[in-house]
Amino acid sequence: MTQEFYKEPGVRDTLQIRRQLQGDYFHSHPEYKVERDNNKCIRCLVCVRECPYDCTYFDTDRNVIYNIDANCVNCKRCEVMCPTQCIEIRDWGNKFRDNAYWDFKHWGSIYKQADTGAVVLTGLGNDEDYKSYFDRMVLDASQVTNPSIDPLREPMELRTFIGRKPETLTSKDIKNGEKIKELFPNIATEVPVIFAPMSFGAISFNFQKGLAIAAKKTGTFFNTGEGGLHPDLLEFKDQAIVQVASGRFGVSSKYLKNSAACEIKIGQGAKPGIGGHLPGEKVTYDISLTRMIPEGSDAISPAPQHDIYSIEDLRLLIYAIKEAVEYKKPVSVKIAAVHNVSAIASGIVRAGADIVVLDGFRGGTGAAPRIIRDHVGIPIEMALAQVDERLRNEGIRNQASIIAAGGIRGADDIVKAIALGADAVYVGTAAMLAVGCTLCQQCHRGKCAWGITTNRLDLRKRLPVDIAAERSTNLLTSWAREIKEMLGLMGLNSIESLRGNRLKLRGVGLSEIELKTLGIAQAGI
Amino acid sequence: MKKVYPIEERCIGCHLCEVACIVEHSREKNPVSAYFTEGLTFNPEMSSYTPEPNQALADNRPKPLNRCIVEENGTLCLSTNCRHCEEASCIFACKNGSLYKDDEGRVLLNEKKCVGCWMCVMACEYGSISRNVYIKNVPSVENNAIQHHCDLCPEREEPACVMVCPTKALVSENRT
Repeated sequence: MTQEFYKEPGVRDTLQIRRQLQGDYFHSHPEYKVERDNNKCIRCLVCVRECPYDCTYFDTDRNVIYNIDANCVNCKRCEVMCPTQCIEIRDWGNKFRDNAYWDFKHWGSIYKQADTGAVVLTGLGNDEDYKSYFDRMVLDASQVTNPSIDPLREPMELRTFIGRKPETLTSKDIKNGEKIKELFPNIATEVPVIFAPMSFGAISFNFQKGLAIAAKKTGTFFNTGEGGLHPDLLEFKDQAIVQVASGRFGVSSKYLKNSAACEIKIGQGAKPGIGGHLPGEKVTYDISLTRMIPEGSDAISPAPQHDIYSIEDLRLLIYAIKEAVEYKKPVSVKIAAVHNVSAIASGIVRAGADIVVLDGFRGGTGAAPRIIRDHVGIPIEMALAQVDERLRNEGIRNQASIIAAGGIRGADDIVKAIALGADAVYVGTAAMLAVGCTLCQQCHRGKCAWGITTNRLDLRKRLPVDIAAERSTNLLTSWAREIKEMLGLMGLNSIESLRGNRLKLRGVGLSEIELKTLGIAQAGI
Repeated sequence: MKKVYPIEERCIGCHLCEVACIVEHSREKNPVSAYFTEGLTFNPEMSSYTPEPNQALADNRPKPLNRCIVEENGTLCLSTNCRHCEEASCIFACKNGSLYKDDEGRVLLNEKKCVGCWMCVMACEYGSISRNVYIKNVPSVENNAIQHHCDLCPEREEPACVMVCPTKALVSENRT
């Protein structure tokens, strides 16, 4: 009966129009409402031109701008661009009768799934209300018994060497002030903050180039992600950490050599255990060039690396890459923070990795199924503390540096992560925020209103390279200043003195087992 | 002399330069009144704003119009405005000397003199002169309207369009 009803042409047309008008889905419950003060609206149509989600349209007959609220994703582009600030986007509020159990995330997903039969995708990182341990740790400061340092008047060292360190370095290894012992390849960063892997394809070319310029200016690194290195970015090869992911996109010996370090990506914090999929329509000429795949073909990264099924296999790949770069560059292995991460990390270090990257469950992504993003993985604070402790206990902490990634929001998180045992951190979402991201979680749709996670020509123009570079540079400069201030008040003059220095951390409002896992003491003790 | 130059690769076609231009050339410098009430008079009978019936008054407070125009063709777009040419053909074309060059080299218009013959519109190589239909110096002629073009915002250090552009697609600089 129902099917016949849908077959009837007139009714079907009406339904399609309704669908088109009200949004993508039949049950299209608006999440946000675009309120427009018509007294202030001057009909300049900036909002209509700026909205990439077909949410705003102009009715010429009535001379009024209307919104299809169901399409609004709260990207705030119109709100920011409106010259009279007449637009206000607000939560639609009470969508159903109040229900603490059946929240919008669940019933909204069910409607979408029932409509399409597809997996509900999303972008960005985990936004569920899990406990943030960074926010429950506090730092120490020097008082009376030890002096604090003023970073504006005294030298402060933020330079960090990332890579394998020798077991020992004695006076015998140095002759006439020169070291005679061959050291392992390291990369030196002036700020312990590195831009996280974001591939060209997931982010726009302008943004990636902006990050590369910012990395060069501030003496740190950017990561190409799994999408290969664009020929135009070859001039920044000394700042590039090149990634070898399960899809092996853009990987060649030339690609590996044109880098500061190589990274094997096993997992990503936002979607541990699954691969990626860049749809064919997003594989434009430029992307096909850097990924080394035909234009318009789907770029599918398998879930596992098909040649790695054990630590021994990983060792083969690590040494294959080391051979390719003639042992001149450190090789990093990036894993998502999952259960038993310390044992896995220990295996990775023993397999020969020079850097271990731990990606916590708050880590961002260009596209991931929502349930996986929100429910898989563990907090980076726990993973970091456990891995650092395990490597120390096994006496192999010097063999690899640890980079913490996934949910680093500011200089405070960086300082706490380093005190927990990280050598440096990766920042992705924070770098996107610096260039205008509004966390609307639509990265997977490829039409970012801010020109960040899109390669549509008209949209990517919204983020020019120099603006992206300037703002990212400013972010790192400001963070470097803040980190120096934080070090100074703790009486430290070098970031080295803080690394793994958990005595500087205290927990507030944490249970005994949480404090034990983090390896820190209760505040007040 | 500093002129406004558009950078085609950076223009996103938001038309905010046009809004800024209108607001800058309005009396109140308020976007809402610049768009809605300037050039109009409040009519208590209809309780709304209607065109000023008194022509002399209407000429004194005309509705502002944008002097830069965003040209669009697909993803290609840029804001066009007066080039303030060294040898300006609009000045040669002007039959009663209402267009002139000031000391700095700007091409300016004496609005009182312009009769709306639009020879300058015909002569301009860049198509950057348009008609201001709200100012009629010869009301007896149907469709009379004076010309108007970019005046580089004499009251500001940087032109309004340059200040407002979100991607810095307009620059005010001295090129030789």
